[in-house]
Amino acid sequence: MSNFKKFRQSHWYGLVMLAVITFVFWAFFKILAPQTFGDFNKLQTYLKTALYYAVGGCGLYFICVMGPFDMSVGANIVLSSVLAVNMSERFGYAGLLIAPLISGTLVGLLNGLVYIKLKISSLIVTAGLSLVYEALSIFATNGKEAILSPSYRAFGDYPGNLILALLAFFFCGFILKYTKIGTYTYAIGSNEVVAGNMGVNVDKYKVVAFVLCGFFVGIESILTISYGTSMTSASNLASMSRNFPPLMGTFFGLAFKKYGHPVIAIVVGEFIIQLLFQGFVALGAPTTVQNIVTGIVLLAIVTMTIKPVKGAVVK
Amino acid sequence: MDTEKKVKLSLMNQPLFRTVMPFAGFIFIVVLFAILTGGQLYTPGNLKLLLSQSYVLLIACVGVFMVMTMGGLDFSQGSMLGVCSVVICFLSNVNIVLAILCGVLTGGLIGIVNGFFNVKRKITSFIVTICNMYLLRGMVAYATTKSPVYGVSNITSYNTMGFNLTFTIVILLVAFAVFRYTGLGNRLKAIGAGETAARFAGVRVEKTKMLIYMAAGMITGLAAFINSIKVGSVTSTAGNQLETQIMIALVLGGMPVNGGAKVRFYNIILGALTYKILTAGLVMLGIEPKTQQLIMGIVFLVMVAVFADRETGMIVK
Amino acid sequence: MSEVILHAEKIDKSFVGTHAIDHVTLDFYKGEIHALIGENGSGKSTFTSCLTGIYHKDSGTFTLLGKEVNAKNQVDGNYQGVAIIVQETGTLSGLTVAENIFLGKEDEFTKFHVKNTKAMNKKAQELLNSYGFDYIKATDIIDKYNFEDRKLIEIVKATYFKPQVLIVDETTTALGEKGRKELFKVMKDVKDDGRCVIFISHDLDEVLEQSDNVSVLRDGEYIDTVKSSDVTTDDLKKLMVGREMSGNYYRADYGEPISDEVVLRGEHLTVPGEIEDFSIELHKGEIIGIGGLSECGMHEVGKALFGASYDREGTVTTADGTQIKDIKTAIDHSIAYASKDRSTESLVINDTIQDNITLPSLEDIKRNHILHAKDERAFAEKYARQMSTKMVGVHQFMSALSGGNKQKVVLARWIGKNSDIIILDSPTRGIDIRVKADIYQMMDKMRKSGKSIIMISEEISELLGMADRIIIMKDGRQNGEFLRHEGLKDTDLIAKMV
Repeated sequence: MSNFKKFRQSHWYGLVMLAVITFVFWAFFKILAPQTFGDFNKLQTYLKTALYYAVGGCGLYFICVMGPFDMSVGANIVLSSVLAVNMSERFGYAGLLIAPLISGTLVGLLNGLVYIKLKISSLIVTAGLSLVYEALSIFATNGKEAILSPSYRAFGDYPGNLILALLAFFFCGFILKYTKIGTYTYAIGSNEVVAGNMGVNVDKYKVVAFVLCGFFVGIESILTISYGTSMTSASNLASMSRNFPPLMGTFFGLAFKKYGHPVIAIVVGEFIIQLLFQGFVALGAPTTVQNIVTGIVLLAIVTMTIKPVKGAVVK
Repeated sequence: MDTEKKVKLSLMNQPLFRTVMPFAGFIFIVVLFAILTGGQLYTPGNLKLLLSQSYVLLIACVGVFMVMTMGGLDFSQGSMLGVCSVVICFLSNVNIVLAILCGVLTGGLIGIVNGFFNVKRKITSFIVTICNMYLLRGMVAYATTKSPVYGVSNITSYNTMGFNLTFTIVILLVAFAVFRYTGLGNRLKAIGAGETAARFAGVRVEKTKMLIYMAAGMITGLAAFINSIKVGSVTSTAGNQLETQIMIALVLGGMPVNGGAKVRFYNIILGALTYKILTAGLVMLGIEPKTQQLIMGIVFLVMVAVFADRETGMIVK
Repeated sequence: MSEVILHAEKIDKSFVGTHAIDHVTLDFYKGEIHALIGENGSGKSTFTSCLTGIYHKDSGTFTLLGKEVNAKNQVDGNYQGVAIIVQETGTLSGLTVAENIFLGKEDEFTKFHVKNTKAMNKKAQELLNSYGFDYIKATDIIDKYNFEDRKLIEIVKATYFKPQVLIVDETTTALGEKGRKELFKVMKDVKDDGRCVIFISHDLDEVLEQSDNVSVLRDGEYIDTVKSSDVTTDDLKKLMVGREMSGNYYRADYGEPISDEVVLRGEHLTVPGEIEDFSIELHKGEIIGIGGLSECGMHEVGKALFGASYDREGTVTTADGTQIKDIKTAIDHSIAYASKDRSTESLVINDTIQDNITLPSLEDIKRNHILHAKDERAFAEKYARQMSTKMVGVHQFMSALSGGNKQKVVLARWIGKNSDIIILDSPTRGIDIRVKADIYQMMDKMRKSGKSIIMISEEISELLGMADRIIIMKDGRQNGEFLRHEGLKDTDLIAKMV
């Protein structure tokens, strides 16, 4: 018993739990739809999607740990992907890789600066800026679909995508564990005022978090456009729907934060979500059900991770 | 730089300035487009068109206005409108009164779900409603997978200016009366400005919040009725992006995004009309959609920044 | 005496409406444990917060070993030689133990922007071991440890770099036997090393036991410094309370008979972690004073009676037999409550004076079920003026008012509601003398007109001056009861508090 208790407290517990959840979901759908779900090839396809969502999830993690929110991830993906296509036509792979990283980071920087300077809820600021980013994406494409030339699709499949995603994951893990930024991210998230008293420049590190988020979203854009091969500009906040797949991974990361492996939790979390989606599709549900599943899963994760406190002020 | 900021902030704290600004903005936009379009925007035909596009927004704004007054946000409105429209169109084939009734009830029910997660489970309203936005959008898409849901064939016969205008004005008047003359407005503002203190002054905070989420849903059910008689059927995109339009409209009307004491009922009407004139005017000027959106985004951010109610020592998330 | 280590010269700090510390000049010496005592609100914590960079002083200078200390924040203070262990949790959850110990000092382990986490963990573990806390693992997330262990980690964090001055701010109340022992050991080490400890505590026995010298603050002013070996706890109490608070300030009468009519009855009230099986009977026209140390649970009693406590057991009944279970019912049955926490519980701080006064009375202001703007305004103005609130107009926002005026608005609200039972928690906390006198006068008037008051207060003189009956609480229970009496002394009450 006491051994089990010890185990529950160790960081292995979180990992084992993630593995168990993954297996349970896989087994569930495998039993219900043995023909159409979950053989090795299919699992690889699920992972492919999970990988690029997880990269964005890593970026959002920095922001969500601190407390604010970024609603512009979707618009950022659209804008960065479109730019990636444009630039790849001129500079080849260099354009494909560098353009979205720069645009993603700049978007993050702008988000952070406007949020800090205006002192308005980050949700509202980033939602408003999304309108601007979307408009820019239309300017960049003139409303036409941007298609990535077949000669630049190395990051759309194994091993290119895996290598890039793994680099991103290691980079995220590295920042969290081996730099001041990681420590301060958690410190600000835990208590802004105390962190400020300890000499942490709260405003500066909030901007840093937004910049990092933008950077990771830039990487997500490379993977997204390479895998999907085309991107249409968005308008009227239609890009908002692209916020949620990465966000779900972030929620997994937050939920498993205390076990000390957020990046793994984000990646496995995204994989679990993919299992769930693809499971329903394998069962014959129309793809429109995806939205319903997204909504329910998000609500469920949040409900499970937030413990209601009596008298707490929740807006 | 720093002193300049202080002057600007203290200016915004002048109640007069806060009151005048949205009106001035409205008049500015009206005049601006009168000049730019050479009066074209305000021909009777165009005004009628403008009005017919405003009903749904005006009505739906009322519910969100109340939610936002309490400091919450509601992003589920657009999808909610879609679901309610599905219910109304489907049931209109049975009985039109039943259809309205069930449409309103559906809205109320969704509102209760929003309220439950926000009030009982203490999850930020933004997260709750955005999850529900997704969920409900999926439902609308599911219901309209094969073909749009058609209303009864004569449903569009209600779509006259007289009916729509009366319907909308009655809703606005009732909402205003309840907000202003029953003390509900005072309570909602108090919740938005300081929830704990409102509780200690005898406001039943949890009950009120549940009630408002429910009411907001029911009002959207009414908006869905107008939407249904206008279109006659529901497709998977019904009510798409309505929530964003509402947000932008309310902010243009001078509403502080975090609610509280500085909220005024006229924010709804002023905002919805400003928004509609702005979009219609931009379209009429032949400005491309991309530029329109760019302008809208920047105007939105500027207005949010101007009207936000910043308090010292507040932690902004 | 030995050399001066820290010299404070005319330190001054004001918050909106209160003068927290008033030109305090004080010396601390090498190799001493120097206790700082005073009632709540006397300015002890503000003084040390100014030294360590938690607050920024308005004027004055701190000089540490000849060099001026001007800390921008706690870590900056650490580098200048001062460290503090605070009352509340000073560690951040979500971070590892090592990250907490070295928060703000990562640069010591950083090369080319890469933090040597391994070296940091190793150093942290060495420190923990050297303090004898080797069961705490530096790599663990701090959430794994309980409050007491987290305090021990804070002790390491505040002392490992050998600060010249260590401040221990009411840390002992949070600690158990083991934690206290560890803390006192560390304090003694600092002293033996020729450095200095500033020790803030409410437990006067502990103060005399541990410290060499004791300085007393009262209402933000420096009163005196005495040698611990020369005085008793009674002497200290006298210094803390002071004598000048008397005269026509409080009500003048003694021992008027109290009516037999019970207007509010609380029976077997229990709120987990706060109060334990507490019963009270309030009579018509009576002022009951409830006193005790800050954490004795008395503040929760007000909430419990008002129906505002969560998880309350026991019953609260009004004269007509109504059970009070929530705030709305309480207000509807003529109970009013002014919280100690004025800015979050008593007042909607980001709202106008008018809205704050009218909020509970909206139903009463209605004419024919309709709320008129004119009536609202007239109502607010009437009661704000009756309380002589200093304001531009009732449309002014609360946040711009001083502490005393805020409290006047709270009282105006309940006078407007015409409640018969008034629960006042720390009604004069942080309020200047003149407004205090107004409030006492008002209470006396209310009492005479047949209203009943429960006054919860940390100020002993106030309890003695105003209450018909005084209940002293300790550890969540009633520990003593006194009737109004000319010969009643502060020491009688204090004896029951500690």
